[in-house]
Amino acid sequence: MKSAGWKYSWLTYRRDALWFPPAFLALFFVILGIMNHPAVRFTIARAYLGFILPLIGGILAAYAVLDDPALELRFSTPVRAERTLLSRLGLILAVETACALVFQLFTLALSVDLAPLGGLLGVQLMWILPTLSLIALATAGSLAGAQPVTGAFLVGGVWLVQLMMKGWFELNARHLFLFMGVFTPHHPDLIANRCVLLAGSLSLLGFSWVLLHRQERFI
Amino acid sequence: MIEIVGLTKTYGRGKKTARALRGIDLKIPSGMFGLLGPNGAGKTTLMRILAGVVNPTEGTLRVAGHDLRTETGKRSVKSILGYLPQELGMYQELTAAQFVDYMAILKGLDEPRDRARRVAEALERVALHDAADRKIKGFSGGMKRRVGIAQALVNDPKLLIVDEPTAGLDPEERIRFRNLLVNLAADRTVILSTHIVEDIGQTCRDLAVLARGRILFRGSPADLTEAAAGHVWSATSDRLEEPEPGLTVVSMLHLSDGIQYRLVGPHPASFPSAEPARPGLEDGYVRLMQSAHEEAEAPAVR
Repeated sequence: MKSAGWKYSWLTYRRDALWFPPAFLALFFVILGIMNHPAVRFTIARAYLGFILPLIGGILAAYAVLDDPALELRFSTPVRAERTLLSRLGLILAVETACALVFQLFTLALSVDLAPLGGLLGVQLMWILPTLSLIALATAGSLAGAQPVTGAFLVGGVWLVQLMMKGWFELNARHLFLFMGVFTPHHPDLIANRCVLLAGSLSLLGFSWVLLHRQERFI
Repeated sequence: MIEIVGLTKTYGRGKKTARALRGIDLKIPSGMFGLLGPNGAGKTTLMRILAGVVNPTEGTLRVAGHDLRTETGKRSVKSILGYLPQELGMYQELTAAQFVDYMAILKGLDEPRDRARRVAEALERVALHDAADRKIKGFSGGMKRRVGIAQALVNDPKLLIVDEPTAGLDPEERIRFRNLLVNLAADRTVILSTHIVEDIGQTCRDLAVLARGRILFRGSPADLTEAAAGHVWSATSDRLEEPEPGLTVVSMLHLSDGIQYRLVGPHPASFPSAEPARPGLEDGYVRLMQSAHEEAEAPAVR
């Protein structure tokens, strides 16, 4: 997509949703700044990257495609479904990435050691895979239900159930556990878990692509 | 330009099924074409199908040789289409120029200089060049409609579909809008869908009337006007009268010597002094609707 296209994707994105990621980022800056104990700081940093960022991404993604005042006009143009998904979800992923990187710089400045989460690559995969999974789930959910709130509820529900039933998922469905990289970053099955999350996300995005061709459901 | 054969559109399933279009056959040539009908007739569904936004349930549909039932055909039609939907949603925070520019990008106009020229031309055409850099949220309803037309024109479409474009416009805006559409129809197909008879009468040489998902009439405004010949009456009364069933009061004019009624239907017994009047397009439309109701209410013959 050309730069002008990205510019308008940004300009036409829901303004009231844009403050959401920076607001949480600022909140966690404050919390990290207040807490002095290294172990507590580590837990907070892990929670922001591993739990909060994916949830924010999912909620934003639920509204990204369908909450568009000019949806019917957009559908009347020859723009392809994959481009719509890329422009809307790519923007969320870019904002999430910016927040994650800024936050990690902040933790670096505060000397919070994130090494126990699996090194630099491990830390990035820890937040990016659950984020991608929840973004894909939210998009597919909102398109399948033909309304953004369906995707938002789905994401909220999955996020909550997985955190509340952490033990059960670790024992019985560890490949589908979104937060395995957060809780058990050195587990031997982590690579398989990441492969499954990536494949699941891509499948859900493919499903969303198919659904997006049935435009009449959304107007 | 457009060929529609046996077009059917059904929404929902089972007991909740609603048939919006019931076997439409229609050929639409180049120029200005009017689609007239009451609310709920299926006009918007037909417009959306032609715009490739809604899929037909049955039937064949070709626009400029492209089959609208296939994804490739739809994309081809959309690349030559300008569309102004009935409910025009816009990005309020964008300026008029930005909005039209964004729509141009979505329509595949990637070359920045060419796009900038086209955006300026489109805004000039709808007399919005002076307001190009103002945000849409500060525009009146008429100005928003003109931005809508500008975005529809920015790709120089061969097919322009406008659905209820004059709804909510003041009389001056409506006249300006109608003139604009007539000018645009000189070198393309323009389909104007509306329930306002006057808009069709002032702009179209060719029209169809749609009601309950079926085409009731296809021809010229003169033909439709002729359908009311012998069924239009003018009568004056010094008090308010209730006409008998089957008669439609088209207008009531309050004059110094009483109320002048214009009626469509059989000779009005409640107005003994009623005299035949020369029919207009609105009379023809009303007469057509009366005939449709009569046919719908008539008992089935086995």
